[in-house]
Amino acid sequence: MTRILLHDRLDDCLAAWRSSGFRVLAPTRRDDLTRFDEVRSAAEMALDIIMPERTIKDHFFLQTEPMIRYRIKKQEIDTEEMLPPEQKRLFFGVRPCDASGLAIDDQLFGWDYKDAYWFQRRENSVIVTIACTKADDFCMCTSVQLSPDSTKGSDVMLHPLKDGRGWQVVTLTDRGKSLVDGIASILQEGTAETAPTASVPVKFDVDKVASWLADPASFESHLWKEVSQRCIGCGSCTFLCPTCHCFDIQDEGDTYSGIRRKNWDSCSFAMFTMHTSGHNPRNTQSTRWRQRIMHKFNYYRGKFDVNSCSGCGRCTRQCPVDMGITETLQVISNLPR
Amino acid sequence: MGIQEQYRIEAAELLSSGAVKLVIGYGQGSTPDRRRPVFIRSAEESKQLLLDSYCVANLSGYLVPEGLLSDGKSVGVFLKPDGIRSVNILTAEAQVNPDQVVIFGFDIENGNTKPLSGRKAIDFAPLIESMKSTGLSPELQHEADRLEQMSASERFEYWKAQFAKCIKCYACRQVCPMCYCRRCIVDVNQPQWVNTSSHTLGNFEWNIVRAFHLAGRCVACGGCDRACPVNIPLRLINHRMSKEALDAFDHFAGESADQKPVLATFRQDDPETFIL
Amino acid sequence: MRVVSKREEAPGVRTLKLEFLKEEDHEFFKANYRTGMFGLYGIFGEGESTFCVASPETRKEYIECTFRQSGRVTSTLANADAGDIVTFRGPYGNRFPIEEFEGKNLLFIAGGIALPPTRSVIWSCLDQREKFGKVTIVYGARTVADLVYKNELDEWKQRDDVNLVLTVDPGGETPDWQDHVGFVPTILEQAAPSPDNTIAVLCGPPIMIKFTLTALEKLGFSPGNVYTTLENRMKCGVGKCGRCNVGSVYICKEGPVFTAAEVQAMPQQDL
Repeated sequence: MTRILLHDRLDDCLAAWRSSGFRVLAPTRRDDLTRFDEVRSAAEMALDIIMPERTIKDHFFLQTEPMIRYRIKKQEIDTEEMLPPEQKRLFFGVRPCDASGLAIDDQLFGWDYKDAYWFQRRENSVIVTIACTKADDFCMCTSVQLSPDSTKGSDVMLHPLKDGRGWQVVTLTDRGKSLVDGIASILQEGTAETAPTASVPVKFDVDKVASWLADPASFESHLWKEVSQRCIGCGSCTFLCPTCHCFDIQDEGDTYSGIRRKNWDSCSFAMFTMHTSGHNPRNTQSTRWRQRIMHKFNYYRGKFDVNSCSGCGRCTRQCPVDMGITETLQVISNLPR
Repeated sequence: MGIQEQYRIEAAELLSSGAVKLVIGYGQGSTPDRRRPVFIRSAEESKQLLLDSYCVANLSGYLVPEGLLSDGKSVGVFLKPDGIRSVNILTAEAQVNPDQVVIFGFDIENGNTKPLSGRKAIDFAPLIESMKSTGLSPELQHEADRLEQMSASERFEYWKAQFAKCIKCYACRQVCPMCYCRRCIVDVNQPQWVNTSSHTLGNFEWNIVRAFHLAGRCVACGGCDRACPVNIPLRLINHRMSKEALDAFDHFAGESADQKPVLATFRQDDPETFIL
Repeated sequence: MRVVSKREEAPGVRTLKLEFLKEEDHEFFKANYRTGMFGLYGIFGEGESTFCVASPETRKEYIECTFRQSGRVTSTLANADAGDIVTFRGPYGNRFPIEEFEGKNLLFIAGGIALPPTRSVIWSCLDQREKFGKVTIVYGARTVADLVYKNELDEWKQRDDVNLVLTVDPGGETPDWQDHVGFVPTILEQAAPSPDNTIAVLCGPPIMIKFTLTALEKLGFSPGNVYTTLENRMKCGVGKCGRCNVGSVYICKEGPVFTAAEVQAMPQQDL
């Protein structure tokens, strides 16, 4: 049966969810930044924006994640695993691109060794996406085989109604179904006309790009240097990307106790692959840029059958020097065959 | 003929004559109002150069990467007065040879670009001198005053909330022409002076250490502020440090190419207000 | 794990012998370790560092690791004394398929600090000597002092079922040096081992591998019969942190053991 959620009933939903033990996170504007954070009322939500500046990835793969606490004693060391709390969380108003990022990263974090930190959070979270009715010049979901109403990674999808009163509710998974059943009394039965989804022009041919990247001769192409001249090697694109997952491990503490942590790291940083011997296989920005593109559209794709890209466009939107993946892939896509 | 056209012609001439091997300027970005750094190597390519009120980035940082100037050849670069001050600092700190830098000087006033006459950094000395007297970044004064009027604990809470957003992407460092250290202090692990984690302590450490390392060296180009993907108002911190350097030591960053670093030199008449 | 003993092999190079503290960890290691695999050795408070397991799969009562003191973690490990606690994560990675080497002649070539991974394979084979044909070891270092496992080199020299060819770089010899002088690839060519029914195991710095591979090909070895190990900067060791890949190959998961043919197929610029 199809159901509708009206805007003015959203506070009732929030109350119901919170009383059943969920922490509800939604896009919100705080301290001059839009990101997912806990909200207590619908008024705090910023659902009218294209997408929040920071991604939902931050709540599953933390910037800095404590892993083990250690205490060093005379003849032994005590360690305590610091797994995330078993807290139920509901992410409301997620863009389809951000949700797909979670599903894409599930592959890597589950490859042979299951990353307990990631999956503990995934298993305790419900994702409610809202299909996009507007996009900006940087969006490129349609170029990576996704769309403004993609269901990848989502438990419940809301389609904005044409008359603006609310959303059509579409349940996608078992987890989504229990969530929706729990607020059935707040929802209206029936269908209504949904607003058209955003029009996002395809900007490059990702399959063509993948086959060029897979050609061994492309590795040494002069294209890499040409497209990356202005790249300054910061971590903005990687840290704001819904799918980037590289990390560093750091011990913080003193001689007697401390915490071993996982921190975000970026293949764009100069020291990323630096060996202690001083040899650095990727010691120029162009080699690092090549690694980024190859990893996302060749290596990851080869291993897991999916591009490591959700098409959100944040890499270009936020880049201090107007770099980003889109342009490089357009250049490759337009290469004469 | 407008300044854009004039500079395109000059760039093309310098490149074809071999007077410069490269011109670093602004080109069309991925949306109509964006400009991006472009690297022009031939007269033909100089058509890509644009110059308008959207051209705000400080391009002097591209002069520093290893090897660019080591062949002794000259490089042209489009710079506003803040960028020219950057070249002075880079010269004073022995990072560039100012004779190898050919400057296409310009400024933006009321939405229009105007040319500045001069070719080498030294030609702009009178202009830089006059900047010192106009005061530091008047456009920031309102926000800076608002912070000054807060109590110390209010100000601390403000910055705590701002730094909580920091993700240690180092965009602020990478875009800054003054941050050219081959191994930044955060990359040193024996010992790990600055935590790399982005918890409150790690974020405070990083941002404050960077502000100190820039004291007396920041030219207020705003690059760090624009680059920050989480909108931390970094200009305000660096502005405060610049004010300290100016008030206490009459030090205006980039005033000349032989300016001594404010934190590494002392004069006998330095104020000693901290000594009772 | 607890440090049982340490030995200085060469200036700045140490070997630590480690024993397990918990029986279930030891059982896991015994069930999973094969020669070629690596681990992450660490000290809480400093971090972790990646080295091979230098002890063979035929001796799993303890773990030996050999490393050069070069950074933060290795400096602290180098100062560890018997009784100190260090951490070990592993064994990770793939292995040398030594059962495929049975019945064949073995040619081991190593340079300097790259003897440890080779030594693990050497002992794994020598401890089952009857399964293999001729065993030749070609090992060289910059100077006499830089040779590692000096007491084991003597042992191998004494054995009549092992042909040990030792060399030091020109200028690295001492007045009483009795063995060869010359770079490993050169000495290898002089020794001219036959490629017939022979597997080569080659470990060394990238530049040595490059020249030695050329020498081996000149002698008639095919890259499919030459095994080597690759190293890269590592942090997690389990394929998550995205750091150790050469092209599409993750050294921690699909390596560190590769045939020379597999290495040649990788993008050389990423090595």
